[in-house]
Amino acid sequence: MTAVAPHSQNDASPDAPQRVIIRTVGMKKIYHRGEETTYALRGISVEIFTGEFIVVMGPSGSGKSTFFNMIGALDSPSEGRVFIDEVDVAQLTAEELAFLRCRKIGYIFQSYNLIQYMTALENVTTPMAFGGVNPDEARKRGMDLLELVGLKDRWSHRPIEMSGGQQQRVAIARSLANQPSILLCDEPTANLDHQTGDEILAILQKLNKERGVTTICATHDHRMMNICDRLMWIRDGDIDRIARRDEVEVELGHIE
Amino acid sequence: MKKIDVQNQPVLPPRRVFQIALTGVKYRLFRATVTVAVIIVAMAFLMNILTESLIKRAVADSVREQIVDLHRVDRWIARLSMPQPHEDLLALLTNGEAEAEAWTELAARGGLAMKELEALQPQARAAQDALHFFAALDYGRRRVLVGPAESIQIFHRLQEAGAWEQFAANLTDMKTLRFPTDMDSFQAFLGDWPALYDALEGVREGQSAALAALRAQLGDTPLMGALGQVDGAFGDQIRAAGFSLSAAEADTLVSEVERLEQTLRIEATINNPGVRQKVAALRDVLPGDVTLSMIWDLLRDRDRAVWFIAAMQENGLETDRLTPEGLEALARQRAHTRLLQVAEQQTMGAGGGLMGIGARMTWLALVSMLVCAVGIANAMLMSVTERFREIATLKCLGALDAFIMSLFLIEACLLGLVGGLGGALAGFVLAGGRMALMFRGLLVQAFPWGDVAVAAGISVMLGMVLAAVSAVYPSLRAARLAPMEAMRIE
Ligand SMILES: Nc1ncnc2c1ncn2[C@@H]1O[C@H](COP(=O)(O)OP(=O)(O)OP(=O)(O)O)[C@@H](O)[C@H]1O
Ligand SMILES: [Mg+2]
Repeated sequence: MTAVAPHSQNDASPDAPQRVIIRTVGMKKIYHRGEETTYALRGISVEIFTGEFIVVMGPSGSGKSTFFNMIGALDSPSEGRVFIDEVDVAQLTAEELAFLRCRKIGYIFQSYNLIQYMTALENVTTPMAFGGVNPDEARKRGMDLLELVGLKDRWSHRPIEMSGGQQQRVAIARSLANQPSILLCDEPTANLDHQTGDEILAILQKLNKERGVTTICATHDHRMMNICDRLMWIRDGDIDRIARRDEVEVELGHIE
Repeated sequence: MKKIDVQNQPVLPPRRVFQIALTGVKYRLFRATVTVAVIIVAMAFLMNILTESLIKRAVADSVREQIVDLHRVDRWIARLSMPQPHEDLLALLTNGEAEAEAWTELAARGGLAMKELEALQPQARAAQDALHFFAALDYGRRRVLVGPAESIQIFHRLQEAGAWEQFAANLTDMKTLRFPTDMDSFQAFLGDWPALYDALEGVREGQSAALAALRAQLGDTPLMGALGQVDGAFGDQIRAAGFSLSAAEADTLVSEVERLEQTLRIEATINNPGVRQKVAALRDVLPGDVTLSMIWDLLRDRDRAVWFIAAMQENGLETDRLTPEGLEALARQRAHTRLLQVAEQQTMGAGGGLMGIGARMTWLALVSMLVCAVGIANAMLMSVTERFREIATLKCLGALDAFIMSLFLIEACLLGLVGGLGGALAGFVLAGGRMALMFRGLLVQAFPWGDVAVAAGISVMLGMVLAAVSAVYPSLRAARLAPMEAMRIE
């Protein structure tokens, strides 16, 4: 029932035929607050393929973060369904959900959500500990990840001792802790200077291209458009438009 | 539909969970300190109540005999002045077997055979039960039930026409009251009461006669003076009059009377201007400010006692039989007696209730526990709700509900343990200090170490359990929620 060519799924190269990894069907999120009801999502049906790099754009309050939480199995939709790897998330037990969040998906939150009392390294290694990696191995991998985001010499700092951008980078390192196959990034470059932003984008791109990590990014950063496969616009909790990058490039002629 | 290839999440080893919990506590040290302070205060309160009551009970137990000794002379003077009150006789009759001598005396006085006494015993017991019941009643209700009558007069009053019906009806109306026996047996007892009363009166008459004879022999000698020679002829007269008096008791009485007499002589010196002036000069106060306890303080020192006797002689006071050693011992004895009196007063109503801390204290302890529970629950609730965001984040990273629960339980137990220990220590120091000031020397021998250790254990355990229990609910709620829902609650 998916529009996918029947090809080998392990092949993660960008031009290989793809398999659906995340699928939502009529996904709605409605917040009730007293008399008032907010429609954060109004029935989103979308398919995301393995190895894809998708950029989600939309004005503030359009429902991007809400969308992320739903497809990341962090929140339950009011209506509709979410399938990850063709498994209905609503059917999973608490342990299975924990496993999914720990190993399959990496999250970069808009507000970082680092654990305040842990050092940068501890923050990065916590998901590894949950995943059963032994402490020495976790420490080594944690340092490698911090090096990747350029914070190796800051490993012993607590979040309050770091700038917003540095916290952002720790969050990115943490999201990669257990080599997830899906990466959900909510504004990953919003608090970074131009150059660090570029570095992060390069990392994301590298992960996407070389390891075939499915990446979904919410952003206002136009540089993202250059590295993505598809763009998705959300407006008022609904999909406004989904387009391939080349289509958009044709339309706009040129993206800087 | 395809099954996801999920395995279950591994459970973190306890050591690691403990480490993480500890780092968390260290980081929020200030918050943790506040929570611990709440627990300390709560547990100190409880521990204070427990320790004080336990010490009082122990002191009461240990000084009971010494206190009985304290009133020996008074008791004998009372016995030799008038017949025993009916209530005392009833008490003697009730626990007769325990005091065989007293029973023999009763029988002789009343001209009753032992068999007769035994026959009276159940009624005496019923009478005592009823008297206890009426004595414990508040004035208003007693007034309604039996009018102005008190003690054994109540039994007489209930014999009057119409009184019984009124009493029975009123008692039935007072639904919260429990009479010790059923109404039929009480009525039967009342029927027998005149006979019992006559027997008691017989005993009292016998006692009066014996006392009158004794007094005739004494002539003008005051009773107190006579008791000072109770080891001689007077003791024999007392025995001849039918009172039981052992030789040992007689000896104790003699020395006790001697002590009383010396005490009176010392205390009389305060009325002597000369002695007063000398003490005032020594103590550098005005003669008018010299007090008895000042004099007794002086006498506790041997050299001063010598000096004091000299001062008495100088001022023409009788110092016959007063020795420095004797005075020193007397002063020490007096201090001890004072302490015993304080102990007697302070430990009234000790015992009974939970752990023997007394009914009133049990109530206080229970109420304080409730207050502790609410305070600790509030503190824990606050510290957990503050961390919903952290819980949510941990869940996003793949934490199991059990991990989050154990994280908070460990933290709560840790805070509870520290708070409980601190509280137990603080409560102990406070109560121990206060009691030490009150009972001084008496405390050394009587200190209930074992009981206090148990109380400390209870306080620590309670601190931990209360903290843990109050952390369970909010953290369970937070752990069960989807991560983003938990993050939304702030
Ligand atoms: N707990 C909530 N209760 C009520 N309404 C909510 C709640 N959370 C989000 N919303 C509403 O849902 C809508 C979507 O919010 P969301 O955070 O997804 O926006 P966003 O696209 O991520 O915005 P931004 O770009 O500013 O991050 C908003 O209108 C918001 O007001
Ligand atoms: Mg957002």
